[in-house]
Amino acid sequence: MSSPGASRYRGPRGRDLALRLLGFAALVVIAMLFVGPFVWQVIVSLSSLADVDRVANLGVPPSLHPQNYTRVFETINFAGYLYNSVFVAAFVTFLQVVTSAMAAFAFSRLQWPGRDKVFLLYLATMMVPGVVLMVPNFAVIVSLGLFNSYAGLIIPAAFSAYGTFLLRQFMLTIPSSLDEAALIDGASQARVFLDVVMPLTRPGLIVLTIFTFLGNYNSFFWPLILVKDDHLRTLPIGLLSFDSTYGSDTPALMAASLMAMIPPTILFIALQRYLVKGIQLGAVKG
Amino acid sequence: MAIGSPRRRLLVAAAFLLPNLLGFVAFTAGPLFGSLWMSFTDLSLTKHNEYSQTPVQFVAFANYAAILSGAESERFWSYLGNTLYLMIGIPLGIAGSLGLALLITAKLTPTRPASRLKLAAVAAAIGVCATLAVWILTSPEVVSADDATITSAYADLSAYEVARLRGLAATLAMALVSGLAVAGVAFGSVFFRTAFYLPSLLAGVPMFLLWKTLYRPEGGLVNATLRPVVDVAFEMGQIIPQVAWQGTAIGLWLAVGVVVVRGLVAGVQKLMERDAGAAAFIARIFMLGTLAAVALGLGVVCWELPAHAAASISDGRSGFDTPEWLVSATWAKPALVIMGVWLGVGGANMLLYIAGLSNIPPELYEAADIDGAAGWQRFVNVTWPQLAPTTFFIVIMSTIGGLQGGFEQALIMTGGLYDTTVLTYYIYNLAFTDQFQLGMASAVAWVMFAMIFAMTLVNYRLGNGMTNE
Repeated sequence: MSSPGASRYRGPRGRDLALRLLGFAALVVIAMLFVGPFVWQVIVSLSSLADVDRVANLGVPPSLHPQNYTRVFETINFAGYLYNSVFVAAFVTFLQVVTSAMAAFAFSRLQWPGRDKVFLLYLATMMVPGVVLMVPNFAVIVSLGLFNSYAGLIIPAAFSAYGTFLLRQFMLTIPSSLDEAALIDGASQARVFLDVVMPLTRPGLIVLTIFTFLGNYNSFFWPLILVKDDHLRTLPIGLLSFDSTYGSDTPALMAASLMAMIPPTILFIALQRYLVKGIQLGAVKG
Repeated sequence: MAIGSPRRRLLVAAAFLLPNLLGFVAFTAGPLFGSLWMSFTDLSLTKHNEYSQTPVQFVAFANYAAILSGAESERFWSYLGNTLYLMIGIPLGIAGSLGLALLITAKLTPTRPASRLKLAAVAAAIGVCATLAVWILTSPEVVSADDATITSAYADLSAYEVARLRGLAATLAMALVSGLAVAGVAFGSVFFRTAFYLPSLLAGVPMFLLWKTLYRPEGGLVNATLRPVVDVAFEMGQIIPQVAWQGTAIGLWLAVGVVVVRGLVAGVQKLMERDAGAAAFIARIFMLGTLAAVALGLGVVCWELPAHAAASISDGRSGFDTPEWLVSATWAKPALVIMGVWLGVGGANMLLYIAGLSNIPPELYEAADIDGAAGWQRFVNVTWPQLAPTTFFIVIMSTIGGLQGGFEQALIMTGGLYDTTVLTYYIYNLAFTDQFQLGMASAVAWVMFAMIFAMTLVNYRLGNGMTNE
């Protein structure tokens, strides 16, 4: 993070050092506030059922019970839920990135009558609360016979005005002289899209991929109303039913929720420099 | 670059656009109109399905009338009230995001890799020593075999065992703090940014289940941490005379009053002198409002503390109770607000502020230095006005998000009990649980949409004034 201004002022050396130490200590304490609940989650997930109520007073459980983790897999179809979540999120992400990239190309690179009007329409719908669309989409999916199916989970989420907008912003930063040169050399628009624009939009594609994947991995409302069968449940819905059926088994519940948090955490830490850019770029909307 | 006839260009564009446009029409634009139409009908899956073929009735504004002043109005207004209540965390969260962004961009750790590594090694050495010290200091000694059998509050654990476990926990905590400090030195701001961002990244069902256990009245981490604080507060409420507390409260309120009035006067002056932009003025009001709210809250706590301590004694209790959080009518909503602040404070808003801070021209700070401004003055006169567009954007986006939010946590953590049902939850109940009243649910959704739309309009108006500055 470069903030040239924020630390330019330097007071007397000793006072400055003390202030910096104080600031750093504050950062560590705050980090503790953010990390603490996760540590507690690990501790509870390793406690026995009998120790759950007193582990907060003792600090650590008297004995460790890693079998809570295996119990998760025995009581609920955790692996199945995880598979569904990853499968649906990955499928949605793939469709959304491909269709958004193509549409963004049409909105940023091609000249055609009515382009800006259609784009304005896209922009206007970004403000619509998702819940407004939830009810009619549900009615449509039910009437198409896709209720309680993978297709019903995937298809309505596979197109996004936001993704189109985000990729268009990225594509607008690519100098148009590049594709003009390719066109003069006789390349088709499809070639320009695949060989010139797409490679240069890579950071944007990565950002949209992570956003969409994480968003769908956490997706709750739509799977909640659309899925009835246990074998189609995604992780959030599976965990919800775990809580309402075996809610008293707190250690297993914490073990399951901890395991559910691991994939997005890894994804985020691995790709965070792209994400941070994307969030800051996405702020242009609104 | 335009190539080919308009017709051909339209065809090429259509080929690229079509997959997305089809989905857009089918699942966004189409349903938008479908939803509007539904909101004017009595559509309900219990009445209109494959078994009962009654035609759907067009009821004009009957649904809207029912929501705003008819049969549903009591629920609607109370759920709207709940939604607005849960939004009081937004200003606190935004202030927190700014605070975190300031700390992160303050370059508190060295940036050169060599010195960073050196300092990290020093920090690691200190951390190991501190952890060992805690371990040695907290390890209980077994003097004789009898000591090991002294019973504790727990039937199956000896006092020695309890002391050993608590010592272990303290050692672990020290190790954790040391680890965070070492990582903070080694990776610098990136580490803290990541740590602060994680909660908002993971906000979802697993996170709400975690917070549900954190909030357990007995055996939850929140109350276990709060217990000593509450005990100290009780002791202080007893020892320090009432006059001192109430004096402090009055002092706080007076200070707030002076600051607010001065800030407002300065803001109005700025606005009158030259067109300084509505955003800067609103940003100022926002900052003052947040400060005032925090100070007022502290003042109320100070004012009430001694009386509560006295009442607690006369009740026959010897201290304050910790809150029951999610299973109490008083604390359920504050619990959700606190969790919301924890979840959101290090999220996208913090990243936006970090970007905003790094975009402030250094010349402004140099000019402030020459004018002799430092610390708070620099912040009020340079940083905060420069961040006004960012703050403005964040306030609007958070408000829009807040109006729509709160469904997941309420469903999972409280089941909507204790006045935690929000508008989205209401729509869910109407459409997908009770009567499958799709028409009524759509009408509520459109009322919500109208509120959001109005807010966005205000955003554009003020936003335009801001960019013309």
